[in-house]
Amino acid sequence: MDDRLKVFLDAKLNADVSRRRFLQGAAGLSTLTVLGATSQSYAADGKLGGELNFLGWDGEHGGNVAKPFLEQNNIKMNASFQSAADEALTRLNTGGRGAMDILTPNKDFQTAILKAGTELFQPLDLARIPTASGLFPAFKDAPWLVKDGKTYGIPIIWGDEPCVFNPKKWDAMPAKYTDFADPKYKGELVLLDDPFGNIWLWAKSLDMPEPNRLTEEQLQQVLDAMLKSKPNVVTIGASHGDMADVLVRGDASIGIGGWAYQVMIAKEKGVELVVGSPSVDGTFYWSDSYALAVDAPNVDNAYGFIDFMTKPESNAALAAELASGCTVEAAYDLMPEDIRSMFPYDNVRQPGGGILGTQIVVPPQEPDGDVVGAPSWVEAWQTFKAS
Amino acid sequence: MLPAGGFYAVFFVVPMLCLLVLSFWRAKGFELIPDFTLDNYRKIFTSPLYRVLMLRTIGVAFVTTLIVVPVAFTLSYMMRFVFARRGQLILQIVLLSLFSGYLVRIYAWRTILGKQGLLNSTLQWLGLVDQPLEFLIYSNIAVVITLSGLLLPLAVLPLYSAMLNVSRDYLEASRDLGASWVYTLRTVLVPMALPGLRTAFAFAFLLSAGDFVTPALVGGSQSMLIGNIIADQFRGIGSNWPLGAAMAFVVVAIMLFAYLAAVNIIRWVTRW
Repeated sequence: MDDRLKVFLDAKLNADVSRRRFLQGAAGLSTLTVLGATSQSYAADGKLGGELNFLGWDGEHGGNVAKPFLEQNNIKMNASFQSAADEALTRLNTGGRGAMDILTPNKDFQTAILKAGTELFQPLDLARIPTASGLFPAFKDAPWLVKDGKTYGIPIIWGDEPCVFNPKKWDAMPAKYTDFADPKYKGELVLLDDPFGNIWLWAKSLDMPEPNRLTEEQLQQVLDAMLKSKPNVVTIGASHGDMADVLVRGDASIGIGGWAYQVMIAKEKGVELVVGSPSVDGTFYWSDSYALAVDAPNVDNAYGFIDFMTKPESNAALAAELASGCTVEAAYDLMPEDIRSMFPYDNVRQPGGGILGTQIVVPPQEPDGDVVGAPSWVEAWQTFKAS
Repeated sequence: MLPAGGFYAVFFVVPMLCLLVLSFWRAKGFELIPDFTLDNYRKIFTSPLYRVLMLRTIGVAFVTTLIVVPVAFTLSYMMRFVFARRGQLILQIVLLSLFSGYLVRIYAWRTILGKQGLLNSTLQWLGLVDQPLEFLIYSNIAVVITLSGLLLPLAVLPLYSAMLNVSRDYLEASRDLGASWVYTLRTVLVPMALPGLRTAFAFAFLLSAGDFVTPALVGGSQSMLIGNIIADQFRGIGSNWPLGAAMAFVVVAIMLFAYLAAVNIIRWVTRW
């Protein structure tokens, strides 16, 4: 299975792909075999059937994984895929209300939406998702999914964004991100085109007390620090796939804000890459969840889908397909070892969200007192890119 | 005309009007606030960042056009008058690249221009350089080369089509009357091929000025163009649609002005 998955992913390397887009179409996976035995008919209660509208990251609709569930319950999934985190909100505000069921927000976006009180998700009735009791402790009461005691999402995958580098050129990464300003890294760095991830990493490196809440002066300090590393940056990857391509071609030897799976991609190309973030600064973590859109027209199908996808077998299959960490504890043993070993699972065995819960990467949407809002971060990042 | 006009109205005029209205609104968090403010335009004209990117974009677009149009013109001339019998065949070969995807072609250029790419490997193998020429990739030069490669077939199409309407007799008559080749080119060929030249210029200039994928993939860390900034305003957390809409209109206005100026200069040269 793994070989076929890798070959497929490898073939996709030269496409413009995001982390999730790598995965769609990995139809040869043996997940169907695994799931075929465990899929039960949810139609028994007579509630399921009809349509299910999905809008989320490509691959997270479980094209292969969910197939037995959808077929047995006569559900037709209408899947469309977002290219930006806020696309569901755009859709909702431009005539899409009542036309979306399942959404897959990432941690940062969901945090921002819930904090802003913006209408997009509806609270989940956890009694209708019994499989959610099998989530890792960190995901059971994930703070980014809970507001006023109500839960707004069920985590499906997670991971981190480490440095990925060529061990033939470097023994290890420096202790801090600010160390990348050293001229010895000239022509060696590739960054991901992600304003929040990069600014957050450098803010942390500068020991800002709250790296996601910066004043204008602090943001300028971060930008100045980042600009010191700019002469060493070869390019800014449009996606994780693009970044991997730059590393594989040898145009750069260190990817900042990378993806562990880039190591496997490079291996297939005969290039050795390893993962290793700055020892002092570390990196940040992400997670995507299934959420229910406000005014979703097919609520029963949506609950059935989420419950099915949160089964250990489904979760393991989806996480393997998406080369990510699984969120269900019993899925851990079902994961292929090479993918399982890419992620530090100790982080999700702790209650309260673990490091994913305490680590907030996204800034406030609007200025909050002296703290600048997200648009200022975007502008700072654009200044960095244009300089 | 009515079906074409209707199509144009529905799929161009109406969306552009919506975008124009949006450019006067405000963004507040994830919400768009209807308003009539000039703040977005004010920000564009006062921000050094946008000014630099606008100038860089115009520069890259002009240089690309100055490469694409003369090459396409020469190629079309040769297809029409030098290798007339093989003209259609050459056209098919030129157009062959359009059968592959846009992204595939950009990645192909990355393979050619990369540090360990085809060009650098060949130059090193021939002993012409010791080290890879790093300016070939992830630079403005890489953007210009890649855009030129992408846009050349699109520029050849209208130029070759225009030249098919130019009779060889006119050129020969001009030469028989003692005109130099340059004079014939300037006063006979270019004016007669002007509609095609104008379209080729528009394709090369406007498409390269509006492109944001090529700079993102081969432009490197210092070659971002205004299109990249506009795209950023329409996606993700921190996006600002009204500002993006205003930027789009400013870019359209500037590029149209530059295009019309260039076309008038060409026309003036032919009458000079």
